[in-house]
Amino acid sequence: MSMTGRGSQADGTAPHSTSWRPGTAFWFLLPAAAVLIVIYAGPLLFAFHASFTAWSLVQPGSDKDYVGLQNYEDVLGSGEYWNAVSVTLRYSLSAVAIELVVGTAFALLLNLEFFCRSMFRSLMVIPMVMTPAVTGIFWKLLYEQQSGVYNYFVTSVGLPRVAWLGVDMSLVSIIIMDVWQTSPFFMLVILAGLQSIDENVIAAAKVDGASASQMFRYITLPFLAPYMAIAASFRIIASMGDFDKIFLATAGGPGSVTTTMSIFAFKTGFNAFDIGRTTSIALIFVLIVLSVSAPLLWFLFKSTAAERH
Amino acid sequence: MYRYRTLRRSLVTLLWIGVSLFYLFPYTWMVMTGFRNPIDTLTMPPRFIFQPNLEGFRYIFTTTGFQHYLVNSIIVTVSATVLIIATAAPAAYALTHLKTRGRAFLLVILVARMVPGVAVVIPFYLVAAKLGQLDTYHVLILIFTAFNLPFAIWLLRSFFREIHPELREAAIMDGCSELRVFGRIMLPLAAGGLVATGVFVFIAAWNEFLFALVLTNSQAPTAPIAILGFRTEYGTQWGAIGAAALLISTPVIVFAIVMQKYLVRGLTMGSIR
Repeated sequence: MSMTGRGSQADGTAPHSTSWRPGTAFWFLLPAAAVLIVIYAGPLLFAFHASFTAWSLVQPGSDKDYVGLQNYEDVLGSGEYWNAVSVTLRYSLSAVAIELVVGTAFALLLNLEFFCRSMFRSLMVIPMVMTPAVTGIFWKLLYEQQSGVYNYFVTSVGLPRVAWLGVDMSLVSIIIMDVWQTSPFFMLVILAGLQSIDENVIAAAKVDGASASQMFRYITLPFLAPYMAIAASFRIIASMGDFDKIFLATAGGPGSVTTTMSIFAFKTGFNAFDIGRTTSIALIFVLIVLSVSAPLLWFLFKSTAAERH
Repeated sequence: MYRYRTLRRSLVTLLWIGVSLFYLFPYTWMVMTGFRNPIDTLTMPPRFIFQPNLEGFRYIFTTTGFQHYLVNSIIVTVSATVLIIATAAPAAYALTHLKTRGRAFLLVILVARMVPGVAVVIPFYLVAAKLGQLDTYHVLILIFTAFNLPFAIWLLRSFFREIHPELREAAIMDGCSELRVFGRIMLPLAAGGLVATGVFVFIAAWNEFLFALVLTNSQAPTAPIAILGFRTEYGTQWGAIGAAALLISTPVIVFAIVMQKYLVRGLTMGSIR
């Protein structure tokens, strides 16, 4: 313990030596940094290297066969890849747009006065924390064309059966599944926003004779906007990486109508054994997600920099 | 006036009963599937009222060895959670209370947080395969740890930030070592945050499917992977899936409800309280 004891080391300066000596903070950061470098950065660098080779698991020795940017050119020139990008964007953006509306509606309803409010809030959280793989497989059961419960409801009101997981509907169906799973997240974040609105502002607006819709439009909504932006950013980024529930509900099919970037990278990686191509797909995927994340990263980084002691 | 209020509250409560029954139907259906006689899972019209039956549970434990998967899940999830908190807590503390050139580190962990799982697991798979370490506990524990560490550090920082820096300065003045300040003052004060972060990380690791799918085979697969095995050539064993799904998802639902106070904060990495 005495090794880290001298207070002067706390600010990272080593008074008695001319060479650099790590400060206390260094030792506190070391375990986490080691895990991130060895387990996270190491394999990613390895993949970066592999993406410039023609490495295929079925051809021994091909991992030394450098092909420059060939893999990247192949991927960016393939229709399959652009299909996956398009499916991912349609899935993420439509799901998040609907979740904003549904989540806001739930939050407003939950913000009313009624009995057992906290119990209902807890119940609504269940879809959000349920194991996504379990969600995927159960929605597949619910969507079954012949024996599924949704079609039972549809036919019992006199409508024809819907091919929920057919070519036309399956992207819509996985979006509905995500809306079900994720709207509670929007509900909780937006509810946190609603509960922090200053009561005095509302009282003042009432005195001034504002109608309910005017209050929502000019007071509540502007106040909630940053909460909505944070929830939407987190969710757009996370949904681009969604794998489990889509894999179990549709496995990317039929054909490739629900093949998102994640499913595409997984299928290429574990069916084709073409490592060079797979790693380049994975790295392009990282670049896409990071560029979409940039505004949120900037916001989180800036807000912590401002809050430092 | 008072009676009008009670009436209004009752009506909204009724509305919420309707909303939650409708919204939670898929979950209710899962619970029913777990307790329904497996033969009746796909009958038309569907059976909403039935005699509860434990056949699905009996089947998964006696025929499929589901307990093996559950034990794996517990070993891997608990180890990863302990490892994450043990490495994240000192890092989060240092990034909040010590003078560091840590701004670059903060940016790195944020970027690491945004990398999608599939892009992490493919390179990791290649390295693990090269080292002959596939289908082991430690490979799964390490990737769970690395994947959730950025989140844990970021969330823990928001808890350490609530502790006054003067506490550390006063203790140092009194001759306390940095390690002692951390262990005796900071960790106890951040206990609530450590538990909350631990629960979040536990839920994430417990629910994880993709890494276990890619990195394990027969020795170390976790509980969500077991579900894949219930789809046989004779059809899908829905009773078994329902029973397994209940056993997998109940612990995380209970944890999440207990930790409700911190849920929003955890999900937004501390940016909304």
